[in-house]
Amino acid sequence: MTLSRKISETPQTLLFIPLFLSALGLWTLYSISLDQGTALAQNLFFKQSVILIPALVGFGLAFLVSRNLIHKYIYVFYCLTLAVLAVPFLGEKIAGTHRWIDLGLPIGVQPSEFAKIIIVIALARYLSDRNLQMQYFGSLIFPTIIVLVPTLIVLNQPDLGTAIILMTPLIPMLFWVGARPFHLFLFIAPILSILTAFHLVSFFIWAGVMAVIFYFSRPRLLYGIGLYFGNLFLGLLTPVAWNLLRPFQQKRILTLLDPDLDPLGAGYQIIQSKMAIGSGGFFGKGWGQGTQTHLKFLPVQESDFIVSVMGEELGFIAIVIMLSVFTYFIFRMSRSAFESNDRFSGLVLIGFASIFLAHVFVNCAMTVGLIPVKGLPLPFISYGGSFLMAAFMMVGVSMNLSVNRTG
Amino acid sequence: MLKAENQVPRSRYVIFNLAAFFFMAVLAGRFFYLQIMNYDTYRKRADSNRIRAVSLDAPRGLILDRNGEILVDNYPTYVLYCIPGEMENREQQFGVIGENIRMEKSMLESNYKKYYRTRFLPAKLAKDLSFDDLSRIEENKLNLPGVFYKQHPERIYNKNVRASHIVGYMKDLDNNAEEVKDKQSDYKAGDLIGWVGLEKQYESTLRGEKGATFYQVDAFGREVGHVAERDEVAPTPGENLETTIDISMQKTLERELEGLRAIGIVSIPETGEIIACASMPDYMPELFRGSMSGRDWSHIVSDTNKPLLNRFANGLYPPGSTFKMLTTVALLNNRKINPSEKIECTGFYEYGDRVFRCWNEDGHGFVNLEQAIEQSCNVYFYQTVQRISLKDLWTVWDRFGFGKKTGYDFPTEAKGTIPDRDFMNKRYGRRGWAKGNLLNMAVGQGEILVTPVQMAMYINHLATEGRAGKLHFVKGKGGVSDSSPHYSSPIWNRIRDHMEKVVYGLRGTGKSANPKIEGLNIAGKTGTSENPHGEPHAWFIGFGEKDGKQVSLVLLVENSGHGGEVAAPKARRIFSEYFNRSEIKMAEAQK
Repeated sequence: MTLSRKISETPQTLLFIPLFLSALGLWTLYSISLDQGTALAQNLFFKQSVILIPALVGFGLAFLVSRNLIHKYIYVFYCLTLAVLAVPFLGEKIAGTHRWIDLGLPIGVQPSEFAKIIIVIALARYLSDRNLQMQYFGSLIFPTIIVLVPTLIVLNQPDLGTAIILMTPLIPMLFWVGARPFHLFLFIAPILSILTAFHLVSFFIWAGVMAVIFYFSRPRLLYGIGLYFGNLFLGLLTPVAWNLLRPFQQKRILTLLDPDLDPLGAGYQIIQSKMAIGSGGFFGKGWGQGTQTHLKFLPVQESDFIVSVMGEELGFIAIVIMLSVFTYFIFRMSRSAFESNDRFSGLVLIGFASIFLAHVFVNCAMTVGLIPVKGLPLPFISYGGSFLMAAFMMVGVSMNLSVNRTG
Repeated sequence: MLKAENQVPRSRYVIFNLAAFFFMAVLAGRFFYLQIMNYDTYRKRADSNRIRAVSLDAPRGLILDRNGEILVDNYPTYVLYCIPGEMENREQQFGVIGENIRMEKSMLESNYKKYYRTRFLPAKLAKDLSFDDLSRIEENKLNLPGVFYKQHPERIYNKNVRASHIVGYMKDLDNNAEEVKDKQSDYKAGDLIGWVGLEKQYESTLRGEKGATFYQVDAFGREVGHVAERDEVAPTPGENLETTIDISMQKTLERELEGLRAIGIVSIPETGEIIACASMPDYMPELFRGSMSGRDWSHIVSDTNKPLLNRFANGLYPPGSTFKMLTTVALLNNRKINPSEKIECTGFYEYGDRVFRCWNEDGHGFVNLEQAIEQSCNVYFYQTVQRISLKDLWTVWDRFGFGKKTGYDFPTEAKGTIPDRDFMNKRYGRRGWAKGNLLNMAVGQGEILVTPVQMAMYINHLATEGRAGKLHFVKGKGGVSDSSPHYSSPIWNRIRDHMEKVVYGLRGTGKSANPKIEGLNIAGKTGTSENPHGEPHAWFIGFGEKDGKQVSLVLLVENSGHGGEVAAPKARRIFSEYFNRSEIKMAEAQK
């Protein structure tokens, strides 16, 4: 396949959209960096611009590499990834976690960002290699393990946000490849059972909803009853187990779920972020005019809370444009996945689309106070090297696999 | 193995897209809720987040005398502040400051603690910096990040008079003060508040209203410039206080009493205006302004003459013979004496097994009421008082305003004591006291305790037949007095006549109070009150009248001897100053 044919057949919007979003991000970062020193090494706009170069190189490589090579060596990469994820545990903690590898470069590298790519591809290969009988629940177990192992390592770093992102492609990909919705429901059910267990009314509603779903899904009677009451039992057991934990253990888990409980945080970030976004209104306060941003009320504004800066300075209109562009981007990926004529490529595309969707949702939902702070960047827009590079590589792979093989 | 066919049903593709759309719609809805529906709320909150109102101090009102001359003025001083969050090494910087303004480091440290508010609000370190201090601070500016100075008006006092007990002083509020802790008040640590005297009484008048300027602050509380869209609110200056004090009379009074433990009150009976008022010893009013060192403070506090004690407001004294006019009022009003009746004074009087003495041990011989007052004969009153009851006496005292506050415009005032039945029963038991106790009270001794302000009220009533105005320091704060003794004109006239005899009579005890001014009539009474602290207190109370113009005077010199010998000559000089001066003034006015 010639390069020119590959370029002409690939959906080029998949590159133009990230470039547009990156430009939007740089524009916002330029506003933020108005307050910073003139030294280039400290200027976020400049740094991010520089990081874009290797990111685009990564994109190019991912686009050009033969899909057969990807397919062939992905398990090797998967094992390497597991090893690399464990490496930070050997070093010193950076910012209180084992998330970073110090390569002696001015920028630390977060291997977990690249793990997102590897896991999706590895899972796609596993699911496409065999003609799995997806209607059986047992077929779901090994794919789950593929995802779960790196997830648990990342969870131990500790990095709950990334762990959640690593998990998210699993269900859409299983769904894509033909798993029964009821089986996927069984994946989510225990989590909901545990979460609702702390709130009596929620728990009863959940028990009712679960009963209806079980009834219409018609599993074998014994399985059904066993799973249903297993879930209820899990829910009932949760508060008991919770109370058995020591207070410091409870606190550790709560802080993992909700960093606001950290006394220094105390909801400060969310409050300031909502205030920034809300005070922006429809047209925003104007570029470079955000009082929340420039008076530093807004924390980590260049990375996790960059949406707050956009919301404040550029307004609802810019947010709607950004969300629409992201939606179109994800739709375009799922369309390529649907139109793909091999299962492996489709699965990779759907996995990546899920990861992008999860990133956008978790990041925005956290800045507007819908979910607790998780510390996830917004793809292409947030400041940060490793994820930007990983994101562009995902785009490269996606565009690479979007080109259907002839014949 | 890349051969596996993609066999995704369209339904799953649609469901995936719907799910993606659902998540995005949730986000868009939330942004809509925050940015469109709650825009106003968040806009306001964001503004209050970043805008800090910084108060601008209002210049304090001046205190003027009755002629508009300045008693208390403001002058600019320089105050040194620091912003804790912007300092680098506090210890070391305080050392540098201390060396340059010659102040102990510990003092800076303690001021810092007293006036600390938050990390990014200025805390007061030192005041009254000289220009030398400022220039040295300026030279060291680079070593002193977060340290700056600001001009600040402070009180400065008229050099000719002290009047310290009248005007009082201000106090720095530290961060433990109740006014600072009270969130409703706008007093902040480091602010000054009127703490004593008129400064306290008229705090709200003098203080004015703080203004505000609006700064934009960053998340760390640092000021980063003015807020363009909000105008500064200028402070409302405090109102000037026009007092009834006459600086030159005040000066005369203070000069007369210099070096003594004494009190003087000069007032106008009809209106109650206080023209001069002194409690000696006093203190330099500047004392409380600067940073007082511990040694100065202990020096003042340990002074046995108690310069900080406001004697005219809080001092309690037995009135002695000055009270004889009240005994006379009681006797005349109850028609228990005939003024021409003569009673023999042999220098002492025996009642039961007790001997009561007259001040003249040789005795006054046979004296009638006029002579008894003129010569201040005790025995006359020892005998006549037995014709009335304690209740009769108490009623008169009470009507003249003793035993309660006069309600003058001053933050402190004592009540004094006038004994009634209950009081005596409580103190001595029902059978523990008898008519004999009245003998002491008839001559202003015994259980009676009065304040000099009450005495001024008393003499003013005598001068105006009970129609004296309420005593006051500030113009317009007078009015009807709380006490109003009503007696018949013959009683008032008789007493006034006899009091004139005290000054003009051949054997009058207050002869030396006569300034011998054409057309001036002075009525007065001396007093020599026994007290447990040593020598008797010397009293003179009286009023002078010339061309329908009255002025009254209360003088008390503690533990100094006879009223006629100690207090009366001072009274003469004060009357003479007052009436001569007004003569000169009138002459000037005519020209």
